Amino acid sequence: MHPATEKLVTALSEQSIVLNECDYAERGYHFEIDLDAGRLREFAQCMLEQEMYLVFVGGLHVDPAIEIIYQFASYDRLCRLVLRVVVDSNNAIPTISDIFQGADWHERETRDFYGVIFIDHPNLVPLILAEEDVDLKPLLKNSDNIKESAAVRWVTVEEQPETDEKADTD
Amino acid sequence: MPPELLRMIIASVIVVAFVFLNAMILGYMERKVSAHIQRRPGLMEVGPHGILQLLIDGIKLIGKQLIVPEGSNRFLFRLAPLLSFAPCVLPFVVIPFSKKLQIVSMDISLIFILAMTSINVIAILVAGWASNNKYSLFGTFRSVAQAVSYEIPMLLSLLSIIFMTSTFSLQGIVAAQKYYWFILVQPLAFIIYFISGMAETNRAPFDMPEAESELTAGFHTEYSGMGFSFFFLAEYANMFTVCSIATVLFLGGWKGIPLPLGDFTGIVWFMLKVYGLLFVMIWIRWTYPRVRFDQLMSFCWKYLIPFALVNLLITAVVVKLI
Amino acid sequence: METAQQNLEPATDIPHDNRYYLNMGPQHPSTHGVLRVLLEMDGEYVIDPQPVLGYGHRMQEKMAEHKNWMAFMPNTGRMDYAAALPYNHGYVALFERICGIEVPARAEYIRVITSELNRIVSHHLWIGAMLLDMGAFTPILYTFDDREQVLDILEDVTGSRLTYCYFRVGGVCKDIDDNFVEKTRAFIKRQRERFDVYNKLVTGNIIFIKRTEGVGVISLDMARRYGVTGPVLRGSGIAYDVRKNEPYSVYPKFDFDIPTGQNGDSYDRYLVRLEEIEQSLRIIEQALDQLPDGPFLAKVPKKLKMPTGDSSFAVEAARGELTYYLVSGGGDIPYRLKIRVPSYSNLSVLPELCQGMLLSDLVAAMGSMDLVIPEIDR
Repeated sequence: MHPATEKLVTALSEQSIVLNECDYAERGYHFEIDLDAGRLREFAQCMLEQEMYLVFVGGLHVDPAIEIIYQFASYDRLCRLVLRVVVDSNNAIPTISDIFQGADWHERETRDFYGVIFIDHPNLVPLILAEEDVDLKPLLKNSDNIKESAAVRWVTVEEQPETDEKADTD
Repeated sequence: MPPELLRMIIASVIVVAFVFLNAMILGYMERKVSAHIQRRPGLMEVGPHGILQLLIDGIKLIGKQLIVPEGSNRFLFRLAPLLSFAPCVLPFVVIPFSKKLQIVSMDISLIFILAMTSINVIAILVAGWASNNKYSLFGTFRSVAQAVSYEIPMLLSLLSIIFMTSTFSLQGIVAAQKYYWFILVQPLAFIIYFISGMAETNRAPFDMPEAESELTAGFHTEYSGMGFSFFFLAEYANMFTVCSIATVLFLGGWKGIPLPLGDFTGIVWFMLKVYGLLFVMIWIRWTYPRVRFDQLMSFCWKYLIPFALVNLLITAVVVKLI
Repeated sequence: METAQQNLEPATDIPHDNRYYLNMGPQHPSTHGVLRVLLEMDGEYVIDPQPVLGYGHRMQEKMAEHKNWMAFMPNTGRMDYAAALPYNHGYVALFERICGIEVPARAEYIRVITSELNRIVSHHLWIGAMLLDMGAFTPILYTFDDREQVLDILEDVTGSRLTYCYFRVGGVCKDIDDNFVEKTRAFIKRQRERFDVYNKLVTGNIIFIKRTEGVGVISLDMARRYGVTGPVLRGSGIAYDVRKNEPYSVYPKFDFDIPTGQNGDSYDRYLVRLEEIEQSLRIIEQALDQLPDGPFLAKVPKKLKMPTGDSSFAVEAARGELTYYLVSGGGDIPYRLKIRVPSYSNLSVLPELCQGMLLSDLVAAMGSMDLVIPEIDR
């Protein structure tokens, strides 16, 4: 492990944030983190101090609540991590656009697509949607195709249901 | 009809016709030269090698609707193209095309030309103001600042020639270049004049008022049809005027090696020199990027004007001593 | 919710005495596409530039959730129209990663060669367009002359000239032949000679240098806060390139450099891109030399079932890091596909970068970012 990555892991463990190490070859990133909305800003601050940059902010509509996904990576070493934060009952989550200014647009885009409110965002006006479509929320799933949060989580290969394997080979 | 009046009418018709013809020749030249600079054939469709293209373009422009933008001053908006075009025609009255071919010979021909060409600024001001468009207004601001600034080095460089010849008459200046062209003794003045001339006519790399990648089309953004054509004609007429002043003052005017063409020798040489300079202008335009506005101004005030002043001073001293 | 509603109100404050708004775009010669930048101006100075997006948004991410993953493949070529193959690459590589499909060596080489050709094409386009923004008309025709050569080569093998859909999960859809190799080698030779023309016409041009030097300086700190990637970042002296930092495909087998600038200004970004063309040529040259024989498409089951869970794949597109992030709920339709496009993050720097600039400098700085609007409005 790169020394800077080790430093990052230590810094996060000191704040008692749990990192799940992932298989890079399968997942394309190294660490997976689930976090409370309350600790998001603290985490982002830590990322900035550890010289990570923000790759993207995206939403994921699952049952019971929308999850916001943050991906961070580093300019000088191979280290990529994914952070999942669940929005609160008001569909709101703290903004990190004052820490990572690049998050500004990503958050506005997520507001357009999911209707998630980023608390204290300085300029939460529609970025991509036209003014008359402010409440369109195009990426929300409907009740037929929404899945449980657990149903879209990674399961290791051993746990994969065997039935799918047979269907593959035709 | 008194013969003098008839002569005036014929002269003005010829001048206006020449301005149109010049715009066509230059338009064709510009497009063909730029095409070859860019390694493409350019105009090829209308007539052999596309020589009739500009005629067709002219007819197209005449046929186009004149659109007056909403909220603009209708009268000024319509007036501006004419205001731009009319003064550009007048310098042709005094340009000595050859020894005999000059409509009016005045003692102050040079001042007359300079006075007429500077009216163009007012036309641009009116056009930009009346268009009710921010981009037009932008172009206007730039253009006025630019034209006013560049007139100074232009006049200063011309003044060095006047010091040597002690006359404002263009024929007199041509006659003074009996043994050598003034470009040989005044190369700096020529360079300063030519640069200022390009800036005065808003040619790239000094095409601030148009600056199409910044200001879409600058002061003539809102003009269509003949309104646009008049600005276009005025630009080419101005280019011709600037180059003919350069020819008269620095390149010996209509003088040249005698050709077996009788009285036409002078006009052939004159045209060759003028179009040679115009070719250089076109060449520069299609090679260089555009300068920034503040760079344009500081270039004028920090380099051109001091150099022109020094040049003038040296000329004055030398003329006094000899 | 109430506070949020207040936030949604557009700013209606009246501009300060002689300030005014200027709308640059959506139809403007130097925004290259349907980008609109709302400029708050004070005379010639830009006080606050705010890009307004969404004029050409196609909601690709929604389409991805409604189609079989294979049916979405052509869409990937329609985001960055100037360099579509890296978009193909990232997409197929993501599915290869998540489904554990081995790609034949020859296919990987073909992918690298065509992707790099596509990168060169994109930089050609950029040099021309950038100079057009600066008011020089001629360079674009010179670079398009070269671009045309590559497009012909790519057309032979991919069947299209712009919006490619050439890669497949498990390889590529058509093998390259000797004719392709021969023409590519001829192009490499020709392009090397053409650098001389570029340098004479553009690189050493005093007006170009004066217009771009010191304009739009992006610092390391600013880059990190905004997530800037690609040549824009490398112009600031940071050698971050996904091809090196997070090697994928067969890139580790080639010897190439990551060109970086020193000052992070528009001129450095120009130099970096020019040098990147040369580095891409080097990669192609080595790849052609090492090109192995064998199949160009692995045997892949027709109905590819994805395991559940999320996976991410990053590639270096012509404009920077492109990341596909897939969340799958099983089946053959992605549950969620997030596409992280480089221009989006690069452009988000604009309001901070161009504050207090002259309008002409804004055009130069924006031009140097190499924006492709359909990529931003994906």
